[in-house]
Amino acid sequence: MPGDRSLGEIRLVQPTVMVHAGAFSDRLRLVGTLNLEGLTIPDGELAPGDWGEGFMDRRHPHTYAHELVLSYAERLGRSVRASLSAGKGFAPFGTDDPMARPIFRYPINHHLAQILERAVAIVGIRAGPLLAEGGLFNGDEPERPSQWPRISRFGDSWSARVGLLPISELELQGSHAEVHSPEHRLGAGTDQSKWSVSARWDGAVKRYPVYGLLEWARTSEANGFFVFQSLLAEGAWTRGRSRLHYRFERTDRPEEERTLNPFRSLRPHVENSILGKTRWTIHTAGYAFQLQPLERVSASPFVELSYGRIADVGGGLFDARAFYGKTSFWSISLGARLNLGMPLHRMGRYGVAQDLPETSVGLSEHHDH
Amino acid sequence: MIIKRSLLLFSVALLSCQDSSGPSLPPDGTGFTIVGGGNNVLERYSSDLWVHGNYAYTGTWGNRGNIGNVMKVWALDAAGAPSLVGSVTVPGIGTVSDLQVSDDGQLLVLSGERGSNGGIFLYGLNDPAQPTPVGSALVGRAGVHTVTLSAIGGRLYAFAARNPGTDATPAEDPALLIYDISDPAAPTLVARVPVPRNYGIHDTFVRDGIAFVFAWNTGVIIYDVGNGIRGGTPAAPVEISRLVTSDDRIAGGPAVHNGWWFHNPVTGERRYLFIGQEGPGVVGSKSSGDIHVVDVADLAHPREVAFLRFTSAGTHNFWMDEEKQILYAAYYNGGVVALDVSGTLAGNLSGRVLGGIRPGGAGDTFTWGVQLANGSLYAIDMLSGLWQLRTE
Repeated sequence: MPGDRSLGEIRLVQPTVMVHAGAFSDRLRLVGTLNLEGLTIPDGELAPGDWGEGFMDRRHPHTYAHELVLSYAERLGRSVRASLSAGKGFAPFGTDDPMARPIFRYPINHHLAQILERAVAIVGIRAGPLLAEGGLFNGDEPERPSQWPRISRFGDSWSARVGLLPISELELQGSHAEVHSPEHRLGAGTDQSKWSVSARWDGAVKRYPVYGLLEWARTSEANGFFVFQSLLAEGAWTRGRSRLHYRFERTDRPEEERTLNPFRSLRPHVENSILGKTRWTIHTAGYAFQLQPLERVSASPFVELSYGRIADVGGGLFDARAFYGKTSFWSISLGARLNLGMPLHRMGRYGVAQDLPETSVGLSEHHDH
Repeated sequence: MIIKRSLLLFSVALLSCQDSSGPSLPPDGTGFTIVGGGNNVLERYSSDLWVHGNYAYTGTWGNRGNIGNVMKVWALDAAGAPSLVGSVTVPGIGTVSDLQVSDDGQLLVLSGERGSNGGIFLYGLNDPAQPTPVGSALVGRAGVHTVTLSAIGGRLYAFAARNPGTDATPAEDPALLIYDISDPAAPTLVARVPVPRNYGIHDTFVRDGIAFVFAWNTGVIIYDVGNGIRGGTPAAPVEISRLVTSDDRIAGGPAVHNGWWFHNPVTGERRYLFIGQEGPGVVGSKSSGDIHVVDVADLAHPREVAFLRFTSAGTHNFWMDEEKQILYAAYYNGGVVALDVSGTLAGNLSGRVLGGIRPGGAGDTFTWGVQLANGSLYAIDMLSGLWQLRTE
């Protein structure tokens, strides 16, 4: 932690309530996710390397209305379906929200690999193993949990995602986004050009549930003046009630000027400069044990250990060793995922994309650690 | 060593690696000689400077293990070389963003930001080696990015660039704040001119009762604050015109940051306004942004007429030797640049570069500002401190 300190804390994180509704033979669907982190972690969650929305080394709380998307899907032919979705949610770009994945620790690439909490309008077409989505949205990222997208900016950004599902367990995707001024709500900031490619496995291997994700993401900002890349590989293997999981991540992060609070960066921006770029290489391994004391109630106590290294890349004033006192860190998380009712859905999948296989990694709706 | 301007121009042209839009970096080591100072502020990053008489004052910025809440006080010896004689810690801020001494040398005003309670801070200079706090005008967490002093109608005013606040309320909007500081113990806010959050206001240049407000992607806004041509006063500025300069295809937009209205004593013209564009940068190593030249012979109809670009360095604050018709520009990783601005200015000015220097050396230079005083050009470098240069 900044200043060569060790820090620990107890938090209730990722408290979510999910709602699904359907009508007209499920052609009309509503997906909603209420996220209460604004109440439980208003100052974020301790997470070395995480950044975004004015937080540094702490994961920011999400907005209360994490998703609220209405979709209408219609069959256009024997194997072709199309959908139109609109509301507040994820743009069709990149991979699943980290909350819907088995590793508890948030990856550093969250702001490189997903675009969320926007006012979106998405067209999707599914034809056999092919899935194509295109969306318009507002570029501005939220600044606080209660904030709604700036509707006047709707349509200033777009993204497209193409998926291939050769077999039900395997999903390949490539996506691209052009995002206008994500870091400045009124639109005076620099633009981002984003790419994401990933392969996701979710199915049995020799009778045991296995999950795997390999992803590469790249964000170029200010016409390439700043470039941030990420490579991430993660997997989970379940046997009985036990699950082992592991993640490797190497991600670039912009080093923004911090306020006198070492965990917060200056907002709103008043210029387009950063202090430098750091590259975070992190290994995270964990074990979880599934308990089900009641029907539709589950709990998964877990332990996760992370080891990471930080490197300065690309020049600039930021000196990781000087700031952190060292260039490596350890972190441990002890907690339990609690779940009541339906399993967690794959956030950011609407309309025909919602028909993709739901997560089978047994995640839940309330996490405490 | 005296080198004629024409010879310098020739050598610069030879040294420059020029593409279609301009050279990559300013020249290094032509037209300037280092004669003093340097590598004298290493525990903090430096920010702005002001030289008055035999003293110089420099600000500090950000966090280099030590917070930039300190103003450094320098004595200049008979040859003009600086030596540190003291420092002043400013409460409630994380950066001393700008500073200036009044023409009579009695008052120093600095702006502070990036802390719990920024604003403008006033110091008496009865003993110029020991500035004494006499007053302040605070604006809270948003802070003030720059402050400019100007005497108008027999009173002294401070033009402060208030940063945008976190809340999207009118009270938190960026604004030009004009204070009457004739009584420095009790600065009085006489006008508040909101500026669009685009990003906001960065600097102000005031001369002859005309205030040029450099307001990022809103452009430059020209006010009558006492000149008389539109009946404006410091308490009631009247907008004369505004202009959004070209972004020159630099990401982030026009990013209008600072400027200098050139009063040419040779021709008697008051025709050119030089504007600095602050493009994206990695503080300490990379920068971008051009110098834009705006013809303001008719203040009501400004028009852009010329530019200077280095493709791998961006400009920051200016100073001028108006008699010699030379613009000195801090250029961050490009160091310091001297530009011939005599005659009529049009188009690409890269052929008018007289010289340049990276005082800290390549890779260890990020120059914030310059000031000509007592026959020397002083340069404040964020990485290596205060330098004394001789110009050729």
